[in-house]
Amino acid sequence: MRSMILDAAKKMYRRPLYRLLMILLGLPTFVVTFVVYLMHNSGINKKKRMEDARQKILAGMKTDGTLKRIQAETEDYQKNKRSFFASKISDAELMKQVDKEVEKETQAYVTKKIQDNHELQELLKRTSFINVFEALMGNPIFVVFSVLTSIPFYLLTLIYANAYGKYILERLFMMIFVVFGVVFLVFTILHMSPMDPAVNILGQTATQDQIVEFNRIYGLDKPYLVQLLQVFKNILTFDLGNSYQGNEVVFDAIMRRFPITLELTIASLIVSVAIAIPAGIISAVKQYSSFDYIFMLIALLGLSIPNFWLGLILILNWSINMEWLPATYSPDNWKTLIMPAIVLGTALAASVARMTRSSMLEVINADYIVTARAKGLSKTKVIMRHALGNAMIPIVTVIGLQFGGMLGGSAVTEKVFNVNGIGSYIVDKQFVPDIPVVLAGVVYVAIIISIANLLVDILYAFLDPRIKSKIKSS
Amino acid sequence: MDKREKEYVKREQNRKLKKVQEYKATGFALGATLIIAAILLFNSYSIKTGEFKSLTLTLAGGYFATAVLQFLIWTKMKNDIIKRDGVTTLTRLCGFLMIALLLSGNIFAAIAGFLTIKKEKNLEYQLSVYMLLTTLCVLLVSLINLFKPYVSNTFFFGMGLLAAIAVLDILAMILIGKGVKGKQVDPRLKWLGVLLILTAATGNIFALVLGLVLIVKIRHKDDLATIEWIEVIRRIFRDNMASLGFFVVTFLLAISICSYLTFDYYVATENDYSAILLNPSLVYPFGTDNYGRCVFTRIVFGARISLVVGILSTMVPIIIGGILGAVAGFYGNRMDNSIMRVLDILYAVPGILLAIAIVAAFGTSTFNLIMALSLGNVPVYARTVRATVLGLSNSEFVEAARACGAKDHVIILKHILPNSMAPIIVRATLSIGGAVLSTSSLSYLGLGVEPHIPEWGNILKIGSKYLETNSYLAIYPGLAIIVLVLAFNYLGDGLRDALDPKLK
Repeated sequence: MRSMILDAAKKMYRRPLYRLLMILLGLPTFVVTFVVYLMHNSGINKKKRMEDARQKILAGMKTDGTLKRIQAETEDYQKNKRSFFASKISDAELMKQVDKEVEKETQAYVTKKIQDNHELQELLKRTSFINVFEALMGNPIFVVFSVLTSIPFYLLTLIYANAYGKYILERLFMMIFVVFGVVFLVFTILHMSPMDPAVNILGQTATQDQIVEFNRIYGLDKPYLVQLLQVFKNILTFDLGNSYQGNEVVFDAIMRRFPITLELTIASLIVSVAIAIPAGIISAVKQYSSFDYIFMLIALLGLSIPNFWLGLILILNWSINMEWLPATYSPDNWKTLIMPAIVLGTALAASVARMTRSSMLEVINADYIVTARAKGLSKTKVIMRHALGNAMIPIVTVIGLQFGGMLGGSAVTEKVFNVNGIGSYIVDKQFVPDIPVVLAGVVYVAIIISIANLLVDILYAFLDPRIKSKIKSS
Repeated sequence: MDKREKEYVKREQNRKLKKVQEYKATGFALGATLIIAAILLFNSYSIKTGEFKSLTLTLAGGYFATAVLQFLIWTKMKNDIIKRDGVTTLTRLCGFLMIALLLSGNIFAAIAGFLTIKKEKNLEYQLSVYMLLTTLCVLLVSLINLFKPYVSNTFFFGMGLLAAIAVLDILAMILIGKGVKGKQVDPRLKWLGVLLILTAATGNIFALVLGLVLIVKIRHKDDLATIEWIEVIRRIFRDNMASLGFFVVTFLLAISICSYLTFDYYVATENDYSAILLNPSLVYPFGTDNYGRCVFTRIVFGARISLVVGILSTMVPIIIGGILGAVAGFYGNRMDNSIMRVLDILYAVPGILLAIAIVAAFGTSTFNLIMALSLGNVPVYARTVRATVLGLSNSEFVEAARACGAKDHVIILKHILPNSMAPIIVRATLSIGGAVLSTSSLSYLGLGVEPHIPEWGNILKIGSKYLETNSYLAIYPGLAIIVLVLAFNYLGDGLRDALDPKLK
């Protein structure tokens, strides 16, 4: 346990952001560590230890004859040099030269000795901050003190020590970054807009006083940075403010519309997956057959049809001409859900079917499938048990990403069928522009999509052992 | 013959048949004609009243009749190939019958016909066929204007020009049939190539490509090596659907350029209160809308704006995203991290939502729309380029360039970018379709192109109001969108297979 925590702490210490985070979370522990570190590491301490080691080695050189050997070798060398070049240097000058060389050689020898001495190196290294911490962790009193005072730090280390925990933590951190980035981006765009919400809401006949009053109430008269900071603060406290139009609480309004969008998304997901995956599998198994050609034509058609056009055609045929289904959505009538679900499901089904086909084709030609067939397994069994599992990974990605995107509201489809979902809410308030609503809506969508991405990636890791090992080794 | 032997013979025959291009094309045309006929038949019956519409029914009958004709030619061809190992001259003459079907608007049969009448079908011949068909189709569509009470001032000049180009195209087809044998191209065809490139000003991409192929082949006639981009085009034309997609894209481009001469912009934009909400007729092929504007002319002009928005909103993010991705992938580490994290922010917002926010904030205009759509696409291209550059920057030839002392920007521009073009081209083709879809969706919401400009989404927006009484207003622009997007999707799929045969 102790070694695991130490290990994780050492790894975290190497990364600047983690270092900051761990010091912030375990402040009392690290204040104590820092004091000890300063004591340990004060300049005198380090220099003295160095000097001691140096003296010790020099003494050793004298006793074991190394110094004499160096002296003799250097003298010999200098004399040879003089005779070879036939230079006229006096003996005294030569001895001076020799002394200088000997001094140099000795220094080099000592430095090398110190470097080779692991114990000494270890001693010098221990003065680094994290090593002081490691040494302190051997002290039971310190451990009890630090566990009591900085539990968040230990939680962080435990999460970090677990490969999945670390992965999810990093992704969550990224998500927060992305959300704030999105807020900044959208707020800046809306702020730069030449349109004036006050005029749009109060009407062209509004007096100057009314406009100033409106701007004061909603804080629109403040400078850009102040407004931006206010928005950041609001996002952190989950208080999304009130809308300009109707003055309703934005958070409640979004929560009211969320179940509708969720219902619609799940319905269309079921419709599309139920059609697309079997069709994709059959297309792959019978590649280049008529079924394959026709179904892939339909799939590409599904990708090319504008959502709203399909919606209009369905309304025209099923609501107006045949009077089978009502044209507009109402929450109490499940029949009204059918058409929006089909329209939303078409594009999804098309991409899932194409993905299923291509990933199945890749797997079907693999060697292990040939082996399974050679073993004498039936074709259905090979495909259902051996091929499908491996082919599922990219399919799950596509479904997950599309699911996130659809939860974020399919503004156009919702407008066609008059569904009171998130997408149509954003579009309706867009024209004002109702900054709190648009901001909240886009942030909601960004969060939903990020969570969907995260879930897909985690699911990935559980489905695919290769990714699991990659996460663990990173 | 026992069962196994029969199976073997059948397989051999199939292999033989598959090699013959005109046989495949005729089969394809037959299938397409049958589908069109079935759709027409289905539409001629009104479920509400339980009656058949006579005009549509006649059309369906006509298509079924031509399908029978094609079926006869198809079976004859099959017999020829199996019994005589080749298509006979008599069957080849039947190809002219199929070409004549172009007058009924059956483009599939015409393509099959052109492939049937010629024995040696090289790339140049195929290109000239598609070039001629494009010109003819533009000519035929423009001819509809003759039924209008008045035509634009430049109409007859434009039609004369188009007719002259059509004659030139036919001449080119004949000359190429004589002058191009295998890899050998008659050097005198060089001037034909130059002339064809000039006619490409009408938007006919096939003419441009054909002219370039001729000139390049004549210049490199002694080289034994094949030229890569010509090989890629050859591979595209091997795929029926991809070449059809290419044809539709070229046709729409040509019509949107030629419409400057042959179509009257006022018919599409000026209100005419004497002709409000008329049903389709010869004068107004797709009817008129609530301001009495001709929907057909509006759709023709809509092609222009859709193509411009689609192409521009793909080019801008390719340049921005490409540079960012190349820098991120090449320098790695900190640079990579900071660029990609910032782009992650853009990636977290769905493109359409971001576009809605931008357009609503800055007002509806075509420029704002293009910028809004571009911004959402930047991270996509940055990711694509980064992935390829990451793979390439560790390869041997980059290391060699670096060892020779090449500077970073030279390595990126000369060595890495050209080698990472293929995935970008494919993605760009596919995303033009997506941009067209987004444009029309935004216009439908009232957040796209200005409402007075004839754009497919704008026409649909009006159509959705008159769904009950004048449903054609909503149906035809939708079909136009589908055809354009489908064409780009098929072209993109074909390009992917042609650029990287391994992927298929």
